[in-house]
Amino acid sequence: MSELSEQAPAQRAKQRAEQREVVLEVEGLVKRYDSFTAVDRLSFAVHRGEIFGLLGPNGAGKTTTIRIVMDIFKADEGQVRVLGQPPEAVRSRTGYLPEERGLYRDQKVLDVLVYLAELKGTPRSEGRERAMHWLERVGLAEWAGKKVKDLSRGMQQKVQFVASLVHDPDLLILDEPFQGLDPVNVELLKELIWELQAGGKTVVLSAHQMNLVEALCDRIVLINRGRAVLYGPLEEIKREYSPRAVHLRTAAPLDGLPPHVVRAEEQEDGSYLLELGDISPQALLRYLVERDVPVISFDVAQLPLEEIFIRVVQGEGPAGAPAATQEPKGGDDR
Amino acid sequence: MNLSKIGLIARHEYGINVRRPGFLILTASVPLLGAITLFVATFFSGQAGQILENVFAPGPRVTGVVDHWGKFTPILPDYQDRFVLYPDEATGQAAVEADEIRRLLVIPPDYLETGQVTVITDEGSLGVADLEESSRLHRFFVDHLLRDFPDPLLRERLGDPIDPVIVFLSQEGAPRGTVDMVVSFVVPYFFSILLIMTVFVSSGYLLNSVTEEKTSRVIEIVLSSVTPQELLAGKVMGLGAVGLTQMAVWLASAGGLASGAVGLLGVAIPLLARPEVFVLAVLYYVLGFLVYAVLMGSVGALGADKQEAQQLAGIFSFLAAVPFFVVGVVFTNPDAPILRVLSWFPLTAPTMMMLRLPQAQVPTVDILVSILGLVIAIPLVLWLGGKLFRMGLLMYGKRPSVKEIWHLLRQA
Repeated sequence: MSELSEQAPAQRAKQRAEQREVVLEVEGLVKRYDSFTAVDRLSFAVHRGEIFGLLGPNGAGKTTTIRIVMDIFKADEGQVRVLGQPPEAVRSRTGYLPEERGLYRDQKVLDVLVYLAELKGTPRSEGRERAMHWLERVGLAEWAGKKVKDLSRGMQQKVQFVASLVHDPDLLILDEPFQGLDPVNVELLKELIWELQAGGKTVVLSAHQMNLVEALCDRIVLINRGRAVLYGPLEEIKREYSPRAVHLRTAAPLDGLPPHVVRAEEQEDGSYLLELGDISPQALLRYLVERDVPVISFDVAQLPLEEIFIRVVQGEGPAGAPAATQEPKGGDDR
Repeated sequence: MNLSKIGLIARHEYGINVRRPGFLILTASVPLLGAITLFVATFFSGQAGQILENVFAPGPRVTGVVDHWGKFTPILPDYQDRFVLYPDEATGQAAVEADEIRRLLVIPPDYLETGQVTVITDEGSLGVADLEESSRLHRFFVDHLLRDFPDPLLRERLGDPIDPVIVFLSQEGAPRGTVDMVVSFVVPYFFSILLIMTVFVSSGYLLNSVTEEKTSRVIEIVLSSVTPQELLAGKVMGLGAVGLTQMAVWLASAGGLASGAVGLLGVAIPLLARPEVFVLAVLYYVLGFLVYAVLMGSVGALGADKQEAQQLAGIFSFLAAVPFFVVGVVFTNPDAPILRVLSWFPLTAPTMMMLRLPQAQVPTVDILVSILGLVIAIPLVLWLGGKLFRMGLLMYGKRPSVKEIWHLLRQA
């Protein structure tokens, strides 16, 4: 993880304060195709400077939602405000990397980027300068004069990423940006997204790679069948879906656990997975410290996001409760 | 609508398309083909007969004459290089067999009563096939028959008795001048054919551009930056300019060629004579192009590929050509009800009005209704077309049914 992701607490606190400003607000959005409802009363908000995950299984309504936000589709009901205005009024301040990707194949890379920047209202010379800057950042500067069709698929994808931000947008929407990229380029893209966040940009990210979402996103909304089924800060959601267990590593053999620990299972690496009953992880840690147990590490066990995703989509809530009974968390604290 | 974005798209489309090898080859090929045709035609018109004669009937070019009647002796000085007198058939036939002459004409004593002339030749059928129609032979006979006629003018007229000058009467019964006649025939055809050709040429580029953006998926990025109406308008402007450029090159090259120059002159003179027809023709041309191009672009966007897009857009080319089906009525009764109806309907109005205008004094109401209809139709088709365009472009790999199109229009 880069330095950018390991910011000082004070800096993160300042950033959190800035994040209170709502950059994207979706309120009661509905989009129907005949009898099929693709988006069903969807509401969420994205704050300035955050990386927000728009997640969901295939066909959940993510792309339709994004297209409405980008003013490519019109909603049947509900309201979308981007940077405090209707989407059509702020086209020049939003950037978009669509899932369905493509560029003008017979044109030169730099020409395509400059044209797309101009369409967003960036003056030609400035667009050229920025395009060259970003091409250098993604390692494609020497390909600027080549035709798009001469580039490999991965290279084209990076050019497309550059196209989405060449006009210096305030809000960047990336639909499946990691699809088809090799691990090196995935890392490069992650770094760039963090860099954009550090520069005060807001990023909405739709991706199926849950490990990347976990690494990048501050908050998420999980959509299933057009509805928000999970919404809030990622840490809170993960805590909510915590399996009530801790990972414990000690310098001495473990004995004398309180009766509230239902089960202790020794792992291959010598640590223990303790399943908790009617005791919180904090109380357990206090109990261990009071008894001078030589604790080396103590982690609250969490479900990976992928597992939470599957559980929610398949209809299971936290700790086995049906998800249908779970209301989306009011993660924007409005 | 953002005009600067429309201008940007138009410039982009123009810049990209005029540099395409396909455009350059097609644009250059027409003048090149014209030049070759002109060269070949000039060459053959002057010398083809000679060449054919030399190829198929080589040998002497002189015709022998045995004059039993007497009026062909002596042969007039103008014909002495091609016609030679022989005293009798035997001598003349010997000259034919010796290839000294090409053929022998034996004019009998009763030629005046019968008109019969015996032709002795050793040529194949090709050499004598046009003998009767040959203007040179015809003049030879006429001039010798009338050699004693005192009046040279009358002799000239007898040889070439008619040079028709036709006077057409207008509806009011007054004669119409030649310039007026050219206006009636050339101008409407010129502009209406130019319109249809430009629509065809430009719509080809338009459909190409639309399907390319659709199949390459770049369209979604573009639509996140501009409205579908702006995109469509920009494409129509840019690719219309591409089509006009091509037409201009073709017309200029035609002007550079002798026969084309005459044709263009035939258009230019009447345009100067009837400026109001010219102004209205240009207006209908521009309005017509906008309506057809917007419709073709937006409907073409529904096609899964270029071929399908062309099929869908073809209906509008057909509509533009519909007035040509009733062109006979235009010339006989320019104010017939069917023509008036077609003039009011925006999709047939441009071609119909261009055909009608030079023919007669078209009622002002027809001009106003047709122009008003087009002026209202253009933003309407741009708005509706933009909706279809938006949805069609995002429907990858399939063509919607009519029912789906209706739903698309309602949902977009």
